[in-house]
Amino acid sequence: MAAVQVLPITTPPVPASYKSPSVPSTSRISPPHPSGHRTLLPVGPAYLNHLRLSLHHAHSFSSLDKHLAAERERLAALHKDDAAGEDDLGVGSEKETDELLSLDPKEWKKQDHYAVLGLSHLRYKATEEQIKIAHRKKVLKHHPDKKAGTNKDANNSLYLAGVNQNTNDDAFFKCIQKAYEVLTNPEKRRQFDSVDPVFLDLEEDIPSAAEIKAKNLDFFKTLGPVFELYSRFSNKQPVPGLGHIDSTKEEVEGFYDFWYNFDSWRSFEWLDKEVNEGSDSRDDKRYTEKKNKAERARRKKEDNAKLRGLVDMALSLDPRIKRIKQQEKEAREAKKKGVTPGAPAKKTKQQEEEEKKKAEEEAKKKEEEEKAAREKAKKAKAAAANAAKKARRQARAAEEAGAQS
Amino acid sequence: MSSTPAQNGRANTPSRPPSSTPTSSLPPVVGINFGNSYASIAVFTKEGLAECIANEDGERQIACAISFHGEEMYIGNQAKQQLVKNAKNTITGFRNLLGKKFSEIPQSEHTTSAPVIQHPELPDTPAYKVQILQPAPSPLPPSSNVGTPAASHVPTPKSEPTPAERILTVSEVTSIFLKSLVQSAQDFLGKPIQGAVISVPATFTDAQRAALEKAANDAGINVLQLLDDAGAAAATTTTPLWAGENLRPDRTQLLVDVGSSSVALTLLSVREGLSYILASSNIPSIGADQIDDKLIKFFAADFTKKTKVPLTVCPAPANSPQDQRAEAKLRLAIEHTKRTISASPGAATCSVESLKDGMDYTGTINRMRFDMLASPIYAAVAKEVHTLLTSAAVDAHDVDEVVYIGGTGSLPGLDDRLLLEVGLREGVETPFARGTVVGGGVGDPTTILARGCAYQAALINSLGDSPEEKELREAFTRGHKASDVKATTKTLGVLIPNDLEENKELGGTWVPVVYKETALPVRRVVQFDVELNEESKRLALEVWEVSEGIRIEKVTQSAPSPPSGEDDEGENLDEDEEPEEIEVKHRVVTKDTLLGAIDTQAKLGVKTKGKGKDAGKTFTTVEVQFVVGIEGDVEVEVREKGEGGVVERVHVSSL
Repeated sequence: MAAVQVLPITTPPVPASYKSPSVPSTSRISPPHPSGHRTLLPVGPAYLNHLRLSLHHAHSFSSLDKHLAAERERLAALHKDDAAGEDDLGVGSEKETDELLSLDPKEWKKQDHYAVLGLSHLRYKATEEQIKIAHRKKVLKHHPDKKAGTNKDANNSLYLAGVNQNTNDDAFFKCIQKAYEVLTNPEKRRQFDSVDPVFLDLEEDIPSAAEIKAKNLDFFKTLGPVFELYSRFSNKQPVPGLGHIDSTKEEVEGFYDFWYNFDSWRSFEWLDKEVNEGSDSRDDKRYTEKKNKAERARRKKEDNAKLRGLVDMALSLDPRIKRIKQQEKEAREAKKKGVTPGAPAKKTKQQEEEEKKKAEEEAKKKEEEEKAAREKAKKAKAAAANAAKKARRQARAAEEAGAQS
Repeated sequence: MSSTPAQNGRANTPSRPPSSTPTSSLPPVVGINFGNSYASIAVFTKEGLAECIANEDGERQIACAISFHGEEMYIGNQAKQQLVKNAKNTITGFRNLLGKKFSEIPQSEHTTSAPVIQHPELPDTPAYKVQILQPAPSPLPPSSNVGTPAASHVPTPKSEPTPAERILTVSEVTSIFLKSLVQSAQDFLGKPIQGAVISVPATFTDAQRAALEKAANDAGINVLQLLDDAGAAAATTTTPLWAGENLRPDRTQLLVDVGSSSVALTLLSVREGLSYILASSNIPSIGADQIDDKLIKFFAADFTKKTKVPLTVCPAPANSPQDQRAEAKLRLAIEHTKRTISASPGAATCSVESLKDGMDYTGTINRMRFDMLASPIYAAVAKEVHTLLTSAAVDAHDVDEVVYIGGTGSLPGLDDRLLLEVGLREGVETPFARGTVVGGGVGDPTTILARGCAYQAALINSLGDSPEEKELREAFTRGHKASDVKATTKTLGVLIPNDLEENKELGGTWVPVVYKETALPVRRVVQFDVELNEESKRLALEVWEVSEGIRIEKVTQSAPSPPSGEDDEGENLDEDEEPEEIEVKHRVVTKDTLLGAIDTQAKLGVKTKGKGKDAGKTFTTVEVQFVVGIEGDVEVEVREKGEGGVVERVHVSSL
């Protein structure tokens, strides 16, 4: 639609005596200046619209309006793509709770760095690019330079409640900087991810074997997410998932094989006790370091044990194991009977192995036989050679004897 | 319907992208204002606005000069400095020679810079000859087997560069210069420039335009459009940023472009972003150089007075190189003085070290004295404006806005003088009245053209490659038939009948909607408030075509007249003794043709509460849309704003 000019005009009411004049039906506007009388300057968006109007839309405003609306939509869609794919990378903007804003930068070890940067929906999955973008967004919003002078609404309830809402204070900005520092350093980020507070919370919710049995929980729905949760710590990616009830024997075995040999990067440096800054004592430092090291090792061991326990529990509860065992049993029995059922059961591993063994044995036998045959032939050959020697010797002896006589 | 005032529509340009747009989406285009003495460049900044940027030397006004000194080549303001000691190898004022034949160029005997000569090979082509030092070829490496044993192990030193002559055509000089401008823009944006719009004066012939385009192409610049100065100015002045809040979208605009060597005046009709030239004139006999000359003479006289060293300038005698050099030095120094005068009301200084005979000079000049010196030039400009308005049959009272272009346009004295002498109406919009001149405001006369070019470049750059868009692209070239339009001859609008005292003649309040000289087809929507009678809620409108005129009223005034300028106080004293007659101009409207009438009952209406003077009255907001077709048919729609409001239509068929 065309732009509306709002005029600062207010008119009094129509006088009662006013009579609407009759309009002569022949009234027309005065003839306009003929075409070419004026030459527009080819500048500006207005000229572009004029061109569109006269070249493509046959001077129809409604047609142009439609075209422009469509164009705007197209551009908006294009821009949305831009925003999602190019500049934003799906960082988006998260709501900042008052709790978050009142964080104390001194307690930075305890803060949730992802939440501070507004990345709590991505967490360990956030890429370096995304962290950079998120940081930039936060800095633009919370930089102390931007805050100066906006401290007008100091008498709001939060301020009165003693929450750190003083916008001139750069506390939250410091938190942002700390979070960025941690998350952009791969080593520090690994340490933080190892003890990610959200992960720890989720870890506590893992149900025990007894619980699952008692509540008759669905095995896959309960433990699937748990393994997914832990899969982040694997050095080897991708990590096999728990799968579903119809997973094949290989899949199931592969899964347990992987998780029993889980190669984790999880470490616990983050929870180290700080070396007392004030003391210069070397012994003190060494003592703390030693303790930390021991603590780390203990935690790591604990973590490994926990994971192993988890896998054990899964194995003990896995309905598929029962099925596989059942199948193996059936296969064995079928073999014992020596009857191949009309519909042969799936070849179990044992069967396969047996067959393999058999084949191997056969091969061995064959080889031995061949060997024996070869040896026999050798012997025969040797015998033949000996016989020939003997014959020659005898012949020579006979000749000598002939000559002497 | 958008409530923000905007242009005739919104082009889908990235020229005003939303603020969230990342820097990477800045259009990679540059607007170049290529003047004869100064150039400026503008690009889009992160804020999505075209801004005039500084080159590497920190100069927003880049002198059009190239100087050769030894092996070095200087471009811009550094080159201008060379005019003092190295004038013969410094090339200035080359733009106006573009596309001209040698025989067409008037041979003036007085030039301080490199003289224009006939190109030794190309027929009838102007060129410049400069002395340069050619770097000697680098010595052969010591390892090369030349047959003679080396005298020492020390590598052979490079030989001295050899003096040589270099002949440059005007086109080559322009290419070098434009390339440096685009390079500056590129460095600023950090990515290659894909297109440029270059401004040209309206007086440029087709041959000159072609030559400029060729020179730009030689420099590797993709020229999107060569834009007339008036067009570039219009591109800036039709942006929402310029219009601000109180500038009407329909206005008659006077462009005053005071260049160094000529004055270009243009009267524009601006109609919601669409603009065309009503009249224009170019006066080569007036220019800011004359102000420079006067200023130099003033300072030279002051110098002589202070130091007793005789100094003759403007022109400096040919046999006195000291005087010539002193003039060149002063010419450079007064640039600063003029800028100070424009920017601040205090006195401006002019300092030159060792102006002549080893004597330094420092002098000051205040605005009043400066305006006195420049007075003849101001007066000449004012006279030309008057001539232009007369030739266009536009009364000075009808000019709604004055826009100044060029460094001289920043002088407040010029503005004062024009307003007074031309008889523009009080409250005419000027950048000075709006306070947008100094401090890099939108009205800064030195950057208007470059910014306009940048806006235009972004607009053209946004067009795609589809055949339709290509057609649009073509229509931006000069003289395309699509720019020829029909235009209305008289103003159309609505009359709201009432019995106010001031509206006795018309019988109501006149609201003009489609002004005269508006290109067809046109659509306009206006919105205003109407008070309703509480019982009848009667809403009546008449659609009229009117002619506008000006009534001159003579008012006898016995009080002392307002000072008509600070420089002629003496005359004022004489005049004060007798009462003076002052002409007061009023706009008058004469109803010509009744096109339609609406008498209906409003359905909405809000009673104003509170204790104001409007309390207890009922108002409704009315929106009136006029669509005038290409054949002169008129469609008027009156709509009460809001849900369920009354809608009435009037149709006037075509001629």
